[in-house]
Amino acid sequence: MIQITDLKKSFRTEEVETLALNGVNLKVEEGEFVAIMGPSGCGKSTLLNIIGMLDNPTEGSYNFAGHEVGGLKESQRTQLRKGNLGFVFQSFNLIDELTVFENVELPLIYLKMNKAERKEKVMKVLERMKIAHREKHFPQQLSGGQQQRVAIARAVVTNPKLILADEPTGNLDSKNGIEVMNLLTELNQEGTTIVMVTHSDRDSHYAHRVINLFDGQIVTESQNKPMKAMV
Amino acid sequence: MFKNHLNIAWRTIKKDKLFTFIKIGGFAVGIAACLLIALFIRNEVSYDQHYAKKDQIYRVVMQGVLQGEVLKSTHFQLPFAEAVQSDFPEIIKAGKVNNIEIFGAGKHGIRVNGKQENTFEENFVLADQEAFDILEINLKQGNPETALIEPKSLVISKSKAEKYFPNGNALEQTIFLDNDTSKPYTITGVMEDIPENSHLNFDFMLPVEDNYGSWTNQNYFTYVLVNPNTNIQELEQKMSLIVEKYIIPAQIKRGRSADFIDVLRTIEYKLQPITDIYLKSDIKMQDGLKHGDIKFIWLFAAIAAFVLLLAMINFINLSTAKSANRAKEVGLRKTIGAFRNNLVNQFLTESVVFSIISFVLGIALAWVLLPTFNEIASKNMELPWSTWWFLPALLIAALLIGVLAGLYPAFYLSAFRPVNVLKGTLSVGSKSGRLRSGLVIFQFTTSVILIIGTLIIYRQMDYIISKELGYNKERVVVLEGTNILGNKIESFKEQLSSLSQVKNVTSTNYLPVDGGSRNGNTFMVEGQDDGGRGIPAQIWRVDYDYIKTLGIQMTKGRDFSKEFAYDSINSIVINTKMASDLGLKDPIGKKIDNGGQTFEVIGVIENFHFKSLKEDISALSLVIGKDVGAVSVKLEKGNPSEALSSIEKVWNRNIPNQALNYTFLEQEFAQMHDDVQRMGKIFNSFALFALLVACLGLFALSAFMVEQRRKEISIRRVLGAPFKNIYQLLTLDFLKLIVISICIAIPIGWYFMNRWLEGFAYHITIGWEIFATAALIALGIAILTISYQSIGAAFLQPTKGLRTE
Repeated sequence: MIQITDLKKSFRTEEVETLALNGVNLKVEEGEFVAIMGPSGCGKSTLLNIIGMLDNPTEGSYNFAGHEVGGLKESQRTQLRKGNLGFVFQSFNLIDELTVFENVELPLIYLKMNKAERKEKVMKVLERMKIAHREKHFPQQLSGGQQQRVAIARAVVTNPKLILADEPTGNLDSKNGIEVMNLLTELNQEGTTIVMVTHSDRDSHYAHRVINLFDGQIVTESQNKPMKAMV
Repeated sequence: MFKNHLNIAWRTIKKDKLFTFIKIGGFAVGIAACLLIALFIRNEVSYDQHYAKKDQIYRVVMQGVLQGEVLKSTHFQLPFAEAVQSDFPEIIKAGKVNNIEIFGAGKHGIRVNGKQENTFEENFVLADQEAFDILEINLKQGNPETALIEPKSLVISKSKAEKYFPNGNALEQTIFLDNDTSKPYTITGVMEDIPENSHLNFDFMLPVEDNYGSWTNQNYFTYVLVNPNTNIQELEQKMSLIVEKYIIPAQIKRGRSADFIDVLRTIEYKLQPITDIYLKSDIKMQDGLKHGDIKFIWLFAAIAAFVLLLAMINFINLSTAKSANRAKEVGLRKTIGAFRNNLVNQFLTESVVFSIISFVLGIALAWVLLPTFNEIASKNMELPWSTWWFLPALLIAALLIGVLAGLYPAFYLSAFRPVNVLKGTLSVGSKSGRLRSGLVIFQFTTSVILIIGTLIIYRQMDYIISKELGYNKERVVVLEGTNILGNKIESFKEQLSSLSQVKNVTSTNYLPVDGGSRNGNTFMVEGQDDGGRGIPAQIWRVDYDYIKTLGIQMTKGRDFSKEFAYDSINSIVINTKMASDLGLKDPIGKKIDNGGQTFEVIGVIENFHFKSLKEDISALSLVIGKDVGAVSVKLEKGNPSEALSSIEKVWNRNIPNQALNYTFLEQEFAQMHDDVQRMGKIFNSFALFALLVACLGLFALSAFMVEQRRKEISIRRVLGAPFKNIYQLLTLDFLKLIVISICIAIPIGWYFMNRWLEGFAYHITIGWEIFATAALIALGIAILTISYQSIGAAFLQPTKGLRTE
C-alpha cells in the first residue's frame, strides 16, 4: 500500500538547512499495523505528515496505493486524501465550534454525501466508539478520552484504507490510553492499515512491526507478535 | 455544507462576543452613517426634479463686468420675458416671478372677507400666467389657463385653503391683505402644495401688477420653457441681442454716458437648468432663495465613502487578527479533505452573514437616529421603505460589501498549510504587518482630518456669532406683520416708546438679517455721470430712530433729525464703504444722484454687516421713508418677558384682530448663518461616526498585536520585565503610526479647511493650536484605546502565554 523509496526532507531557514529525513525506505502492506518510534526530533512526525500527504518530500518517491504522491499539487493531494486517509492526533484537534456529531460528519460533507446517509454513518460510528450519547456536546465538554474517541470516529467514518495516528495516547491517562489502543487494534483487525507514531513502549506492542528512527534514518526494524486487544 | 458554514459563523459570533460586537457594531455604525448621508444627498439632489418638463425649463441668469468685477444677477427687466418669448422661436414661453417685498411678495397679514381676524403669512410671490404655466402649477380648483390673468387674483395652496376655508370652498372668496379693504383679492385657484424640495416655495401667488416696470430696472426672475433639443449655448449667445435691441436704447434715452453703455455691452445671458438652481447657484446672484451647496454634497458623499471604507478595513483587520483561532480549524478541515475553495466559500459565507447582521443593525440605528438627524439638517426625511428598490438594494449592498470585506480574510485564512498549523509552527499574520500598518495610518489620517475640520468649523461658527457687527443686535425685538397699521404707525411707535422697558423704537423692514427688505440701485456723484462712475448700492428706507435703535456708529456728520425738514426729502446717510466707492474723501454736504433724484450726504456711518458674513460689506445708504413692514424695539436691560408682555398689551390695543408675532434680531442673525451651522453640525456628527469606527479598529488591532505577541510577552515576564516595559513595548508601535497619520493629516486638513474658509469674506485664520488640539485628541483617544489591551497583556500570567498545547 505504501512504498517509500530513498525519501529525503529538508527544512530550510535563512541560514541553516536541517535534514529531517535522510534516505528513508519503507514499505507498508495493506492490513499492517506499523509503529514508528524514536527520540524527539528524529523525524517521526515529518515522516507521518508526508505519509499523510500533508507535506511533500524534498527528494525520493512516495507511492500510495499505486499513485506517486511526490510531485502532486495541494489540491491533487487533497483529492487523493479524501476518504482514503484518517488522522488521529495527540491533541485530538477537534473543531471547538462544532458538536461531536458535526465534527464526525465533516469529512462526509466534503465527500458530498447526502444528509440521510451521513446521519446513518455518523451515528453508527459514534455508537461503536461508545460516544453516541454525547453527540450534541461540544468538544470542550468532554474528557480527554472521550475527545480522542470522537477524533477516532472522525478518522474512521469514511472507512479509510489507512489511519495515521500521531501519539494518539500522549495526552491520555493509562486507562483511556488502553481503551484507545484497543479501538485501533480492532480497526486493524477489521482490515484498516495503521501507521502510528509513538513514544510509548506499551503502545508499540500493539503494532505488528516497530520502526526506529534516529536522525532521519531508519535504524532498526523489529517484528512484534501481534497482541490481542486488551480488556 | 452551507448549513455547516452558517452554523460555524453563528457559533463564532456567540463565542467571541466582544470581537463580534466590535466587528458588527463598527460595521453597523458605518452603514448607518452611510444610509443617513445617502438620504440627505438624495433629498438635496431631488430638488425640482418633479417638473414633467424639467429638461426644458431654465432660469435666466445675466452676468456683466463692472470695473473689472464680474456681477451676476437673476433679476431682469419687466419686458424681458415678453421680449425673449417673441424674439426667439426656441423659447416656447417665458414668465416672470417676483419675490421682492416692496412689490408685495413676502409677508402679509391676511383676512377673509366677513371675518375679524388677521393672520400673519409669509410665503407670497408675484408671478404672471406664463410663469404659472412653466412652473407646472397644479390647480385643484379654478381654471389654470386664467388663474393669474386678472389683477387682484390670488392663487392659494391647498393646505392654506383648508386652513382658511375648512368647508372646502375657497374659490371666488374675497381676501384682504394687510387689512386694506380698498384692494380686495379674489381667489381664482387652489393649487397643490408646492413640494418642499422646490427652489421656489410659496403658498400664495399674486399676479404681477407693475405699471412702472421698464427696460431700466430689474426686479423679476425670468423662467423660460424651450423647445426640446434646443442648442442652449447657441440660444444663450443669440439672447445677447436683447442688450442692443432694447436695453441700450432705453438707457441712452435716459441719458446714460457712453462708458455706462460699454458696461452694458459686457452683459451675457446664461440659461440655468431649473434642476441646478438649488444646488448650483452662485452666492453672488443674491436671489434671496434658500440654496444647498453642491460642494457639501460631494464632501458628504466622500465622508460616507470613507466611513464605510473604515468599517470595511476594521472588518478585514479583525478577521485576520483573529486568524490564530481559525488556523487550527483551517488546518483540520484541509486534513479531513476540504479544498481551498471550500474554505474560501466558508469564510465568504461568514463574512456575508456578518454583513447582513450589520446591515440590519445599521438600518435600525439609522432609523433610530433619523429624527435627530432631521432636526440637525432641518429636513423631513424618511427611510423609503415603500419604494420597491429600497430593500433589494440594501440586500445587494449587504452581499456585495460582505463579499468585498471577506475576500482578503478568506484568501488569507484559507492559505494556512495544515502541516504548519498542526505542528504549531505557524506565526500568524506576521507577513502582512505592513499592509495592516498602512490601513491604520489611513484610518487615522482620515480621522485626524475630520477632527481638524470639526474644530475649524466650530471656531468659525463661534467667530461669526460673536463678531462685532457694527450694530448692536442684543435685546432687539422685531415685531412682524405691522403692515396692517398703515398710517397708525406713528402713534403705535409712540405708545411703545413710552413703555419703561423700551429704549428705542424704529419702523422699517430694512433689517440687517435675512428676510429684511433689500433695494439695490445705482448711485453716482452729481455731475460725474460722464465719467461713468456709477456704483451699485443699497438704498434703505428707514425712520429717524433707526440708527439709534440698532446702535450703529456715526463716523462723520449727523443722524437724521426732525429738526431739519429737508431730511425727509433729500438727506442721505451713507456707509464708509459707499463713501470710498464713490471716491468721496470728505462726503458731508456732497450731492449724489440716484436715477435722477439728488440727495445730500448728511452723515457717514460705520460699515455694519447687513449680509451673511460670507459676503463683504457693500455700499449702503439710508434715507427717510415710510416702511411699516416691521417694527423693531430696543429693550432696556432687564427681564425681556416682562417687556414683551407690556408690548403685547400695546399691540392688542392697536391691532386687536391679529396675534402678536415677534422674533429677536439675534435669533434672526443666527438664522442667517443657519446653513453654515447646519452643515457644520452634520459634518461634526459624521466626523464623530468616523472617529468611532476608527477607534474600534484600533482597539481591534491592538488586540491582534497582543495576541500575536502573547508568547513573547510571557517570556519577557518570566525573565523579569517590569509592567512599564511591556506596556511601552506594546503601545509605542501604534503611537508611531498615529504620529505618522497626524503628520499626513495636518497639511491635507489645512488645505481643505482653508478652501472652506475662503468662502467667508470674514473668517478666522487657522493657527497651530488647532492642529495641536487635533493631534492631542487623536493621540489621547488612541492611547486610551490601545491601553485597554496592552495593560491587560502586561498583567498576563506568563504561564498562560507559554502553554501552547
